[in-house]
Amino acid sequence: MSAPEFAPQVAEGGTVRIAACPTDCIEIAAFSGRAAELAGIAARRGPQLPAFGQVARTAGRLVLSVRPQRWLLLHSPAAAGANAALWQSACADVGAVIDLSSALTALHLAGPAVRELLVRSCRLDLDPEAFAPGSAAATIMVQVSVILAALPSGLLLLTPATTARHVHEWLLSAARPFGLMPSSEMSLEDLSGDQWP
Amino acid sequence: MRGPHRLAPGLLTDAARPVGFCFDGQRMRGLAGDTLASALLANGRTLVGRSFKYHRPRGIVTAGPEEPCALVDVIGADGREPNRLATTLALHDGLVAESQNRWPSLRFDARAFNDLVSRFLPAGFYYKTFMAPSWAWERVYEPLIRRAAGLGRLDANAGAHPAPAETLHEHADVLVVGGGGAGLAAAQRLGERGFRVILAEQDMVLGGGTLLDARWDAWRQGVCDALGAAARVRCLARTTVLGAYGHGVFGALQVLSPAETLQFGGLRERLRIIRARRVLFATGAVERLIAFPGNDTPGVMLAGAALSYLRRYGVAAGSRPALFLNSDQAYDTLFAFAAAGIGCAGVIDPRPQSLAADRARAAAIEVHGGSVIEAVRGRGTALRVQIARLDGRAAGTLAADSLLISGGYCPQTALAVQLGATLHWQQSIAAFSAQLPAAIGRLAGSARGVFGLAAAVLDGAAAADAIAADLGRPIAAAGARPLPDDPQVTPIAALWEVRTARARGKAFVDLQNDVTSADVRLAQREGYEHVEHMKRYTTHGMATDQGRIGGLVGSAVLAQARGVALSEVGRSKPRPFAQPVAFAALAGSEVGQHLKPWRRVPLHDWHQAAGASFVPTGLWMRPLVYSRQPGWEPVLREARAVRRSVGITDVSTLGKIDVQGPGAGQFLDFIYANTFSTLPVGRARYGIMLREDGMLLDDGTTTRLGPQHFIVTTTTANAAAVLEHMEFHLQAVCPQFDVVLTDVGDQWAQFALAGPRSREVAAAVVADLELSNQAFPFMAAAAAIIAGVAGRVFRISFSGELAYELAVPARHAPLVWQALLAAGAPLGIEAYGLDALNSLRIEKGHVTGAELNGNTSADDLGFTRMLKRHGDFIGRVLSQRAGMTAPDRLQLVGVRPLDAGQRLRNGSHLVAREARSTSLGYVTSSTPGVELDGWVGLALLAAGRQRVGQQLLGVSPLHDEQVELRIVSPHMLDPENARVRA
Repeated sequence: MSAPEFAPQVAEGGTVRIAACPTDCIEIAAFSGRAAELAGIAARRGPQLPAFGQVARTAGRLVLSVRPQRWLLLHSPAAAGANAALWQSACADVGAVIDLSSALTALHLAGPAVRELLVRSCRLDLDPEAFAPGSAAATIMVQVSVILAALPSGLLLLTPATTARHVHEWLLSAARPFGLMPSSEMSLEDLSGDQWP
Repeated sequence: MRGPHRLAPGLLTDAARPVGFCFDGQRMRGLAGDTLASALLANGRTLVGRSFKYHRPRGIVTAGPEEPCALVDVIGADGREPNRLATTLALHDGLVAESQNRWPSLRFDARAFNDLVSRFLPAGFYYKTFMAPSWAWERVYEPLIRRAAGLGRLDANAGAHPAPAETLHEHADVLVVGGGGAGLAAAQRLGERGFRVILAEQDMVLGGGTLLDARWDAWRQGVCDALGAAARVRCLARTTVLGAYGHGVFGALQVLSPAETLQFGGLRERLRIIRARRVLFATGAVERLIAFPGNDTPGVMLAGAALSYLRRYGVAAGSRPALFLNSDQAYDTLFAFAAAGIGCAGVIDPRPQSLAADRARAAAIEVHGGSVIEAVRGRGTALRVQIARLDGRAAGTLAADSLLISGGYCPQTALAVQLGATLHWQQSIAAFSAQLPAAIGRLAGSARGVFGLAAAVLDGAAAADAIAADLGRPIAAAGARPLPDDPQVTPIAALWEVRTARARGKAFVDLQNDVTSADVRLAQREGYEHVEHMKRYTTHGMATDQGRIGGLVGSAVLAQARGVALSEVGRSKPRPFAQPVAFAALAGSEVGQHLKPWRRVPLHDWHQAAGASFVPTGLWMRPLVYSRQPGWEPVLREARAVRRSVGITDVSTLGKIDVQGPGAGQFLDFIYANTFSTLPVGRARYGIMLREDGMLLDDGTTTRLGPQHFIVTTTTANAAAVLEHMEFHLQAVCPQFDVVLTDVGDQWAQFALAGPRSREVAAAVVADLELSNQAFPFMAAAAAIIAGVAGRVFRISFSGELAYELAVPARHAPLVWQALLAAGAPLGIEAYGLDALNSLRIEKGHVTGAELNGNTSADDLGFTRMLKRHGDFIGRVLSQRAGMTAPDRLQLVGVRPLDAGQRLRNGSHLVAREARSTSLGYVTSSTPGVELDGWVGLALLAAGRQRVGQQLLGVSPLHDEQVELRIVSPHMLDPENARVRA
């Protein structure tokens, strides 16, 4: 993602942190009658497939379920197609494996005002009681589809790559009143780390 | 004391902070905490505006958002903003406001002439007066009416700069609308039980009616403190719920405090969209007027408003007011004025007796029981109030400096009605009250017709308990808390209009739209008997105040005219928005650069750096040509590179749908008109799909990547529509197919490498794949390593040249693109844009959106042979209707000018020289020839295939051009398709 059209004011006193989160994304879906086998394959590779609307994790890996009978696997980036190829060989004939590593852009949003920021476009109820860490959902923000996952460290936002700049620029603009904290890239290791309950 | 002035600091004003402001050029002073209206009253101003139709002088009538008359222009740094309510406009230092709808001045308004000729301007006058001559309507009448209409003035440059605005989405267990006694009590109860509550109060402070009675100050403070400490309760002052929609969705407009405005970059208003499981309307009741001659005279004010100005701002609306009222509650104003040391000219009450009147008489205040006011004369501080006794005995005249009136109170039910609440006539309060299904919410307090502060508080708490029980978390019974007593009252006596023998003159039922009781009767006489018809004929209740203080009075006059009960007439239906809202607030933050998302290809920045001109196509920004130079020269340079050597273009915008599963082949056979289940692995096939109605939907290539794995490409424009079409049929029409569909449009960047030397370039970057014609023929496809990146190679062509499409994961696109450019540099490779791509495909006769326009059939475009003979597919039946294959339909042809020097125009009509008035078709696409001499075009022509070889005219009336054309086959270049197979 290139620089936005304006320079956001970044300061230590800010209350929102927006960080890129390089990740490979692979979607898997079971063919008819093969769901149990797919779940078994996933469980062996880790982590277990979560229920709809949930996030599961293992070291360096997150799994989101935001579409019925589909799971989005987030891995640390590898060579083009390498992660997907591993899943394709594991799931052959059992389910579809689709590499979406370039299709989705991931941002990590954190800070005390992050929910205040997102209510300016997100229709989901992001109150921690309604959307506790471990929750995931797909929705629309600034006219673009997004997937949100609540993590102990903040919120992970996945959005289509070709419109990611639009979302990013809006986030930076809407975050101005709250102040942006300096941020560096977040890795999946960071997000799936020990802070989980 | 002369005239209205400030007696003492009020609840909201700060005597230590004077504020300077300017009204109609006159400098005045108010106090911090004032509204413009309270500050004007404190300065003795009673005349603040002119009425809409008759330009009658008008004063301040209310103290809140229901104000019909005190509308002003505010002149600020951003220009002039019309129609601001003085009664809700917070005073600030340097505020500049002007009165509206007067010329040359407020005191002398030339258009007050309308009032003198008002007998010629009754309700609906423009339907009658401006009937003839018909030519005069547009030239004379309409311009005149438009010039006369309206109140405020809008700046010519209004909206030039988008105002900061934002929309918030919020959620609650319970939305409490209204922060008076009932709302506060309810929010406190719900908050104590741990419910997530949003309390929206339109006023700048919480309290509602409790602000007007000092006995309630301690209770109010206690509750506000408790709510402030409740973690799950959010109290939003200055927040008006504008509309109640289905499924628990509400729109609310919050006016920001100055501190928030500063933090949010000048933001003044914020739209909140609130989703709540239940709603509690504690919206209170609004005082209504009485229709009598002169009830719009400046100095006539609602009694409750006068009490509000006294308590909140320490401003007395008069030093010797008369009161005209019909309920004991309205006497509160009288007693508050007396307590403040203000004498009363007298009270006029149609009820012969009442408890409140007795209390007044005990305080030596003269009460004229069984009486009404039949006229008010004078203006400013010298009013003559003419009293009539209802028993016909002699009456007199009172001298007063103001007249405070009250016709009773109407529960504010508009929002509840928007949610489907039914209205019931409640005789005890002479008003309608509403009831909501419990699954939606409840009403409480005076909004439900429960009058009296203590009664409202208890009602609010009870409603909260009921809602808590509905939500499955009952609240334990509360202990009795001491509340100030509600006084005993004598019931109201309904009084809508004074119609005595001497009552002559305009009696208004709608002050903002200048609608009189006579207008309502006229409407009834002319057949507009339904309240909704009367509303539209007279404009009663159609102004920005929505007729809040006179709506029921208008209904009552109509009921009397019809000779039916008021309960039978009812009220007109209130609709969102409850108050005017600026478009900027509705637009929110998605304006300017955030207006709509732009889709950018992975190489967007490269294209930009290479000097591309971009063209918006749908949401995409696509490179049109790599030049800012106008004209066809740069386009043809790019296209000729493709025809003669090699070019490369970014086709990443094509839709790409991944199709996997045991039923993938059969599913595609059903979706497409041609067959894919027989396609070998590693081969691509061009396909067309139809809509249910048999028309063409889209075209593109589909490639079999594995036995159960296909990749479908769609046109850029139809990518979303095709995915939706496929998902719909998979989920709803043929779920038996075991298939998984995934949009992979953003995953794959795709480049078309085209031209006779494209193989050389491809071979330089593609590893582990033999690209010879034998090993990798036309329509072959394979996975391959491209510039070190795992990708896919397709031998397909849109340009008509030997071509390869190379797909790589989008994040690796820049690396691969650069490698291709480097490999092609010795061959003079040119990047080409959308214009060159179009020129190439037109010359070749390939169709795109201009021909696949939703009105063409497979036969029209020459695709009949692609429709499979066996097996079903979407659109099969209807595509075989006779009309879809009729020989005289518009069919795809090529067109070429006889004179190669003449240009073609898209959209030109094709006509025969001998019958120019009959259009036979039109040019869909055209371009200067890349290889061919002169312009070439594609066209849809009636019976086109039979006309190949004929000559027609291409006529463009817009350009006043005509070109002699020859009709040719659309395959104008390389009809044998030899080049793509080279």
